Amino acid sequence: MTSATVSHSESAAASPVLAGQNRIRLLGLIFSVVFFAIATKLAITSAIAPVSEPPGEVVAAAGRIPRPDIVDRNGNVLATDVAVASLYADPRKILDIDEAVELITAALPDIDAKMLDTRLRQPGRAFIWLKRQVSPEERDTVFNLGIPGVAYVNERRRVYPQGRLAAQTLGYVDVDNRGIAGIERYLDDAGAIYTASLLEPGKDKAAPAELALDIRVQHALTDELQMAMTKFKAIAAGGIVMNVETGEIVALTSLPDYNPNAEEKKIGRDQQNRMLSGVYELGSVIKAVTFSMAFDYGVVTMESKFDARTPLVIGSARINDFHAQRRVLALPEVFTYSSNIGTAKMALEVGVERHKAFLERVGLLDKLTTEVPETARPLLPKRWGRLVSATAAFGHGFAVQPLQGLNVVAGLLNGGKMLQPTFLKRSKEEADVLARQIVREETSAHMRELFRLNATDGSAAKADVIGYRVGGKTGTAEKVVNGRYSSLKSLATFIGAFPMEKPKYALIVMLDEPQATPETFGFATSGWNAVPTAGKIIARIAPILGIDPVFTAADREKLAKQAKEKKQG
Amino acid sequence: MLKLANGVLVVTALVAGALLYALEHKTRGLEREIAVTKRAIADTDEDIKLLGAEWSSLTRPERIQKLAAQNLQLAPAQADQYVSLNELQSRMEDIRARVKPDKEQDVIGDLLQKMQ
Repeated sequence: MTSATVSHSESAAASPVLAGQNRIRLLGLIFSVVFFAIATKLAITSAIAPVSEPPGEVVAAAGRIPRPDIVDRNGNVLATDVAVASLYADPRKILDIDEAVELITAALPDIDAKMLDTRLRQPGRAFIWLKRQVSPEERDTVFNLGIPGVAYVNERRRVYPQGRLAAQTLGYVDVDNRGIAGIERYLDDAGAIYTASLLEPGKDKAAPAELALDIRVQHALTDELQMAMTKFKAIAAGGIVMNVETGEIVALTSLPDYNPNAEEKKIGRDQQNRMLSGVYELGSVIKAVTFSMAFDYGVVTMESKFDARTPLVIGSARINDFHAQRRVLALPEVFTYSSNIGTAKMALEVGVERHKAFLERVGLLDKLTTEVPETARPLLPKRWGRLVSATAAFGHGFAVQPLQGLNVVAGLLNGGKMLQPTFLKRSKEEADVLARQIVREETSAHMRELFRLNATDGSAAKADVIGYRVGGKTGTAEKVVNGRYSSLKSLATFIGAFPMEKPKYALIVMLDEPQATPETFGFATSGWNAVPTAGKIIARIAPILGIDPVFTAADREKLAKQAKEKKQG
Repeated sequence: MLKLANGVLVVTALVAGALLYALEHKTRGLEREIAVTKRAIADTDEDIKLLGAEWSSLTRPERIQKLAAQNLQLAPAQADQYVSLNELQSRMEDIRARVKPDKEQDVIGDLLQKMQ
């Protein structure tokens, strides 16, 4: 360019040279302006403007929402995902199907050669699963066969490190990691919003779902129930421990259970969660509801007396007592002797309509729902008359899920504050907002007194672990066999709470068809099986739950006597 | 003069090009490093999860109970073993009677020694 300008200036006249120079200057000017603009922009973006991430994080919406881990209230892992490989094949790319079938079945003996052959020969198929969720060794063996068209993808598999522990509560997932039952199902269905709230924004990770469960309590409960089930040859057993102040379910067991890690879980009717999806007549335990009702309507006082000398006759039906005393009973005696006559009379004094209204108020007419979807509606008498009201008062013809029974009793004992039970962690403050007053504080105080009395002097004495101030009510309901109450098959229940002066935890223990043993002197009623089991459970869990034992002078004497007996025995 | 300026420009252009290339090369290296680190993080996360699951499985109460029953001479705490501070003085005798002779004191320590 320079040489061209020089040659121009030599050959051409002055004015054209000047014009050429002007043009060059103009060009230069334009260039420098443009370059200056670029340089300025460069300087601004690189040096002056702060280095920032691209605005608005790219949403990690590519995959599904990752399944959160499930942990107990202390952070122990109950369910988690681990990476596993799944082997697949693209039949179009396999050159020699016969050879491939031979090699694959040699490496994975549990695959049927014939089936695989037909599946690989399906025309037009581009993808078939060879085997889902294989071990790393199997993955390597098959992959190293080097068959074209055979490969693997990494998948996630749900594992339950605690095994059988709390299996029914947790539920399980299918091979595609979709929740099928229990909390796992809740995380996908009803609790999808809760699950989404666990997600860490912008990351492919989720915080664990924290349950109210405590594995130590859960294990103690399961262990004792398992032993009781064997000892009394019961066909099933179950129990729940609940925090009375927050409605949190700290432990829930239903036996027989299953192993959630097994491929074939063998979940039949027996393995269902009886505590939620079964309804049972809780028998005399329901009397607690009738007593609270009578107190709350002001129909009776602690000083009331009931004539239990003769059976109560309503129409053609006669109501009799199991532990008949044949005398006039004071109100606390009606409770401790579990008198059907006295309780029925109480209900009759309240009246049918008010009886129904009270059951409605404590929620016994409606289905109780929690996070776990498998729940059953209570089974109630269809037509209410005087007789139905009188028999329902002591629990006949009145079947509820055990959790609902426990929840109502907990509400009656904790000062009348009814809570929706939950499997998720809940604080006291949250619970206070949700609480619903069902009976007066005064009624609740009376109930606490009666429950405690029943444990010191009544049918629940074997559950009174010295120092923990247990209170409870027992129930032995005859089971309905072919539409009639059977005197041979029964359901033994205990509902209790501790420490009774201000209950913190309530529990229910249930044994289905317990048998009499020599040790129980031929009795199969609740006081001989469910109650001592509850006592053992309380003795184990109370220290874990941080309940301080308190001893009276009488307790000390009892303890000293026990220690002496132990030494001699 | 112009020649010199052009020369400088050419050299600058070459140097700038070389620098740019070097920078890009370095960036790619760093990007690769980031990718490797990210994968390592993911792998470690996976390992942590697996170990967490294993830990949870090994510390399940059922197993601990079995091991404790086999190897330790301890039993679940009973209510009367709890003593509040203000009644400690009056219970000292009782407590001394409960504590077994020195030989059996360090059960866990003995067990660990045996294992070594």
